[in-house]
Amino acid sequence: MGSPPTGAPLAAGLLLLLLLLAVVLAGPGPRLMAAQHRFRSAPGPALLVWQAVTTAAVLAAVLTGAVGVRLILDGGTTPARVAVAVPAVLVGAGTLALLLLSGHRVGTRLRAARRRHRDLVDVLATPDGRGGPERPGDLRVLDHPTPTAYCVPGLRRRVVLTRGTLERLAAEELDAVLAHERAHLDSRHDLVLEYFTVVHEAVPARVRSEAALREVRLLVEALADRVAARRAGPLPLARALVALAGSAHPEATLGAGPTTAAGAAAVRLELLDRSAPRARVAVMLGFAVGVLAVPLVLAALAWSAAGSAG
Amino acid sequence: MSPRAALGDLEQAVMDHLWSAQEAAGPGWAGVSVREVHDVLGPRRDLAYTTLMTVLDRLAKKGLAERERDGRAWRYRAAASRDRLTAEALRTTLDPLAGDDRRAALLHFLDRSTPEELDDLRAALAELEQRRAERA
Repeated sequence: MGSPPTGAPLAAGLLLLLLLLAVVLAGPGPRLMAAQHRFRSAPGPALLVWQAVTTAAVLAAVLTGAVGVRLILDGGTTPARVAVAVPAVLVGAGTLALLLLSGHRVGTRLRAARRRHRDLVDVLATPDGRGGPERPGDLRVLDHPTPTAYCVPGLRRRVVLTRGTLERLAAEELDAVLAHERAHLDSRHDLVLEYFTVVHEAVPARVRSEAALREVRLLVEALADRVAARRAGPLPLARALVALAGSAHPEATLGAGPTTAAGAAAVRLELLDRSAPRARVAVMLGFAVGVLAVPLVLAALAWSAAGSAG
Repeated sequence: MSPRAALGDLEQAVMDHLWSAQEAAGPGWAGVSVREVHDVLGPRRDLAYTTLMTVLDRLAKKGLAERERDGRAWRYRAAASRDRLTAEALRTTLDPLAGDDRRAALLHFLDRSTPEELDDLRAALAELEQRRAERA
């Protein structure tokens, strides 16, 4: 009595901490983070923080399994060890299986939807020279009065506008919209979002945070806005946002689950004129490194405890 | 034009041909054979018969064209009218009920705003214009 625990008991304690960390980083943590709107003023670093938190949650759960395996391999099958190792291995293997399944489902779904959409656009829409000489052939115009603008990411990328968009926007506003879409494509924001979606859908519905996914989507838009504002000017971009948001969609069903946070357009407009103080960015980057270090350190300690006797 | 772009351009031309032929013939139309498409588009664009066979085959595999056996040849029809396919494309991009993943497959410039949000937006734009004017 009184001596500090070693071996299996110590490993068990550390594994519990790891597990707790994984759960916190998968649900309550992101929920809290999504409510921190200050970080929107630096969308790039904010996305790095989100990626760090997501990756740390995955690491914590998967490394729990690795330590469980070592408990058995290096310490034998005493009842105490088995009692700790079996749940740990189950957590690690279960997490991996869920992630692989989710990755497969999300990836298949997205690629099928994109292929279908690209097939449609390629036979319906007219290629447009406004793509500029450096990007021949990726701009397509659909003959429809409803204004909309989007891109189809992937290897055979497309930027798609409707006739309604061309009629509604001045030349410099259109440049801003195209710059925004090209920023999405050039920075492969689709992959950033796919990663979050895969992890999000791997987490049980009770734990995961929808607000977090919406916040990440908003940050991706804010990041593309930043690039577009640098290229085409913040005012033309702001005018394009208002012009396209104000277009009446006859087939619109308003209020049915927007994919980004409510009032996202207004938030994006606000952000155009704001940049984060250096200190805030430093704090964010420090947090990103720290949140990744915690599961690695805990797992390393548990790993060595699992290999010692006791 | 890259080979791929040329192929995309051809697919569009062939679909246009299927749509206009359908329109001219009305409902109950059996479709066209590769030979018939080649008779119209071949001379105009200097295309080989086999090229059009490939294009029609691709369109059928993509579900954009339907085909039925007619003796030893296939007869092709557009799977849906141009308007219906345009509506499908736009539904994916505009309708929040189209399913989150079909929407998430694309990256939109903007999500829909409610009328109340629109007022806020206009006010925010006015403020931005003013701030910029003061700085200038």
